[in-house]
Amino acid sequence: MSNALTVLTRPVAWIPEARRRQLGLAIVIALAVSFPLWHDNDADIDSMANAAAYAVLALGLNIVVGFAGLLDLGYAAFFAIGAYTYGILSSFQLQPPWTDFWVTFQWLGLVTKMAADTGSGSVVHFTLSFWLALPLSAAFAAFWGVLFGAPTLRLRGDYLAIVTLGFGEIVPIVVRNWSDLTNGAAGLNGVAAPHLFGWSFGVNSTPYYYVAICLVALLIFVSIRLRDSRIGRAWMAIREDEIAAGCMGVNLTRFKLLAFAIGAAFGGMTGVFYVAKLQTATPEMFGFPVSVMILVMIVFGGIGSVWGVVLGAFILQLLQSWWLEDLTGWINSFGTLVGSKWLQHVDLVPSIELIFGFILVGMMLYRRQGLIPAVRKQAALSFEQQHAVVQRGGFADLKLQGLGGDVRTGAAALEVKGVTVRFGGLTALNTVDITVPNASVVAVIGPNGSGKSTLFNAITGLVPAEAGSIRFHGEEVLGLPPHEILGKGVARTFQNLRLFPNLTVMENALVGQHARLTTGVFRAIFRPPGTRAEEHAARIWAMEIFAIFGNRLAPRVTQMVSGLSYANRRRIEIARALASRPRILLLDEPTAGMNPAETLELAEQIKSLNALGLTVLLIEHKLDVVTTLADTVYVLDHGEVIARGRPDEVRRDEEVLRAYLGRNAQAAAAGVTSAA
Amino acid sequence: MTLTDLIVQQTINGLSLGAMYALLALGFTLVYGILELINFSHFNVFMVGSFIAFWVLQMFGLTGQDVILTGLPLAMVLLVAFAVTMVGSGAIGVLIERLCLRPLRDVKGPAAMITTIGVSYILFNVILLSMGAEALNYPNPLPPKRFHIGDAILDVRVILIWAVALVLMVALWLFVQKSRIGKAMRATAQDPEAARMMGVDVDKVVMMAFFLGSALAGAGGLIFGLYYNFTSFLIGFTAGLRAFTAAVLGGIGNVPGAMLGGVIIGLIEALGGQIAGAWTDVIIFSILVLVLVFKPSGLLGRMAPTKS
Repeated sequence: MSNALTVLTRPVAWIPEARRRQLGLAIVIALAVSFPLWHDNDADIDSMANAAAYAVLALGLNIVVGFAGLLDLGYAAFFAIGAYTYGILSSFQLQPPWTDFWVTFQWLGLVTKMAADTGSGSVVHFTLSFWLALPLSAAFAAFWGVLFGAPTLRLRGDYLAIVTLGFGEIVPIVVRNWSDLTNGAAGLNGVAAPHLFGWSFGVNSTPYYYVAICLVALLIFVSIRLRDSRIGRAWMAIREDEIAAGCMGVNLTRFKLLAFAIGAAFGGMTGVFYVAKLQTATPEMFGFPVSVMILVMIVFGGIGSVWGVVLGAFILQLLQSWWLEDLTGWINSFGTLVGSKWLQHVDLVPSIELIFGFILVGMMLYRRQGLIPAVRKQAALSFEQQHAVVQRGGFADLKLQGLGGDVRTGAAALEVKGVTVRFGGLTALNTVDITVPNASVVAVIGPNGSGKSTLFNAITGLVPAEAGSIRFHGEEVLGLPPHEILGKGVARTFQNLRLFPNLTVMENALVGQHARLTTGVFRAIFRPPGTRAEEHAARIWAMEIFAIFGNRLAPRVTQMVSGLSYANRRRIEIARALASRPRILLLDEPTAGMNPAETLELAEQIKSLNALGLTVLLIEHKLDVVTTLADTVYVLDHGEVIARGRPDEVRRDEEVLRAYLGRNAQAAAAGVTSAA
Repeated sequence: MTLTDLIVQQTINGLSLGAMYALLALGFTLVYGILELINFSHFNVFMVGSFIAFWVLQMFGLTGQDVILTGLPLAMVLLVAFAVTMVGSGAIGVLIERLCLRPLRDVKGPAAMITTIGVSYILFNVILLSMGAEALNYPNPLPPKRFHIGDAILDVRVILIWAVALVLMVALWLFVQKSRIGKAMRATAQDPEAARMMGVDVDKVVMMAFFLGSALAGAGGLIFGLYYNFTSFLIGFTAGLRAFTAAVLGGIGNVPGAMLGGVIIGLIEALGGQIAGAWTDVIIFSILVLVLVFKPSGLLGRMAPTKS
């Protein structure tokens, strides 16, 4: 398909890419706006309006599933909540007796007074305006999204799917059984059509079509703006690696809820539109098949791809309500022509769900990225860039405004006291004490399984400690969630690399700055000058960080991380941590898998960072690296600190030799000068 | 009917439902335990199983509840029906795994789960389009003999359902505990990588899990037909969700847990249905959410690999 796209764009290849996009957009808009003029068929316009409504739903679900990576199988529930909110507040379903309480609402135009059916007294008739209902229902659906999401979003991804499925089932059950409010299975009737300047939309499809495409345009805009902002990056970081996202300062709960709420709001808004158009609402309109259909649309179009899901929604909805009928008609006529009874009576429309099933399976097996992949094309490195002489970056002359700056006062930056961590019966850390003085480099060494990484996990809030305290510049950080610990200035890397593989090098570094940026939803959407400036500054800062590594990362900023070399990925992880402007950097085996030259280079880079006044806590196996870098070395064995001191002292320590080499090798080791 | 009789009656009903849910829950648990995959196609393998049994019983010339068999003929018919159904549904399960899921085994993210939803949809619609939307009267050769406990009624077929379900579950339990491949399954559930290195053929283990789970679901489908005297393309969804709840409640990946969870959910449905009526499903889903949120390891403990 992408090949097909290349073929299609070849004749216009002389137009610059940006221009081409604008041109394409202009053509799409022109076609969309003029459609009812050149295709004067009310049924088809109606199909298009429905397709647009589903495109909005798909855009909403795409935020939850595509951006944040949360599989929601009950999305239609929010569609239902929005639909019934408007349906109930603009029909004759509820008729409470008229009291003075309602006068204010009458003045606001939300209700009118009417004679009761029983003949005596007056009752309230709700007349909420369609235009007011759009934002109102969106907010209400978002409220339910948060309410429902709050307890469940802590769940693992696959459990979330089943819980949302359950929720998606509960809502129609409630609607069906709470007849007083919803008129049950019979459905709401007489829902008011929208009015604009006193003119009612009635049952003519064209005005609905225009409202729907306006909604689609609005939500495409919102989706793209959110995607390319701090918010979207945080979502994608969660999708790619939740643990790393948390350690890079993303508040997991808040951003998952945000995705849920915004997705729900889109769904609620579409519900209003859908009910206003049909002027009725029944529980069957919002069941599991609807949720699956929306999922099929985004899978078909491309999970995470804004234009893809819109295309997917239009194709599938039109297939269902328009093309399959036409196709059936043609096949039936063909059957008459050739005299085949079976062909005359075959009906393809009921097989739509079967087709959906095949689309789901087929796309997953053969084209997981969908029709229009979300992952953008990457610019390949030029020949010169690929063969450039490696520059090792500035060391002595390294100047980064806003990084480090701590002075060696001897005061403790990080103070770990009596920390104990147990996993079931295993004591991974036993009353460990470690002090990292300001602006120093402290190394933690020890055999595999001695608890080094657990120590890092305890400091960064990934594993709970049973006892002890961890103070960072005097502040207790034990018990804080990872994103808050990063916020205080503790950044880390991981032993087994936890990058965001499907984000670019730049995006990885920008996620690192998450906690230092302030853009919220509204500013992400409207992009005021302040936000543009902040984003610009963030990119410049990232480039400054990349410059530490010479020309190794800088030419590759627009590349996906997953395609880079191992050593470069290690460097990106350090760059990502540095981007968060930490006051202490925790490095978990930063040189693992690097060759001696690369190791030396990185050691020098760490040294120059430290020279800027950045405190470093390091786990490392290569003892020569430790000797070069560390002021103090702690040795862990079986979760206990068995030695501490200057590197040369520790190297001669008997217990250390025993832990590393075993009792018998001790004598032999006495003669060894380099244990590495 | 006194309150005690009512409770006895609903307990009988609940245990029958529970036996069915337990059979279905075992399939979820076996697959989840090994692949960490929620297999939505399992919902409708159960449904298809009930149709396979329907065709088998029809082939014996049985329609509706008119033809009653006793003694050896009954035993033979049931034996053949269960055997064919279980092998048939087992084969469907293996086919699903082989064709749709194995290529996705190493793909991260929700791809495999989305695929199972697609497969589920395909099964559902194939039956809907070929067998029609109307519920079918299920051939049931069991004698309508019943015992009275107070005012409560204990049907012969209920006893039969209990017996069959119990035999199948004990057989599965022994298989998983004692047999060579059963041990391989447990090893794979603990740590697929280590199991592979120790010479376990993981592909075979996964296939076995799908076969056993689907076969039990097929048996569950037959039991559904015998219990309710009807079947329809629709039965997979609700039963599947309840069975999944049962598996989670008992502790996913945990075989005895699935049995216990199934019985509890069956009892809740029967007794709760008496009180809450149409809201029973709301109660069951709420249990699902509460268990997942507050005790995700379930009653008897989760037994599944934890991929980091």
